[in-house]
Amino acid sequence: MEIKKFAECERRGINRLMNFRLPHYFYKIGMALVAASILMFFVRAFVIEGETETLRMIFKKVLLIGLLLMSIARDKEEDELITKLRMQSYTYAFIIGVLYALIMPYIDLGVSNLVHGGGEVYKDLGDFQVLMFMLFIQLFSFITLKRTR
Amino acid sequence: MENTIKVERAILSLTQDDLAKKIGVSRQTINSIEANRYVPSTVLALKLSVLFNKPVNEFFKLSADD
Repeated sequence: MEIKKFAECERRGINRLMNFRLPHYFYKIGMALVAASILMFFVRAFVIEGETETLRMIFKKVLLIGLLLMSIARDKEEDELITKLRMQSYTYAFIIGVLYALIMPYIDLGVSNLVHGGGEVYKDLGDFQVLMFMLFIQLFSFITLKRTR
Repeated sequence: MENTIKVERAILSLTQDDLAKKIGVSRQTINSIEANRYVPSTVLALKLSVLFNKPVNEFFKLSADD
């Protein structure tokens, strides 16, 4: 009896988590954050002088938060087809993201060895690069799937 | 899966938009169902059944490759 209750509680929790979406206006907030952080990357690179590593780290976090808000915000007309397409887009993002994390460091290594004439060492991708790539793929495939539904 | 939603909709003189509003989905979802690109959930099929006043298997049929 207790196990059944626990399983039921767990199932409800998972369902609630799977159906969790932020209101649609968070999509626009996310877009604003993404645009602002990209703009600030340029400002940091070309306008601000001196030690800007902390700023760079903050802009990276803001960019990721913006993309995440866009990713989990409810669609204007969220129905079962949209939910299915959203899940499909997460699947694509996950698969392509893993492939990217596996293959990209070798491409990087090859290209930098070609450009610098050898001597480069293997470097894994950072968490920011992988997460940003996955979120971009999710958003891009979701928009594409929605357009072709 | 094949369906005759378009015919049923025409019988009731409903546009895709009207039907979408009545069952709480987007117009694009109705379009995808009519074009057999999307198989709706049982809940949506039953909503259509109530609206058309017909059993689900009268407007949804299994195709040869199902």
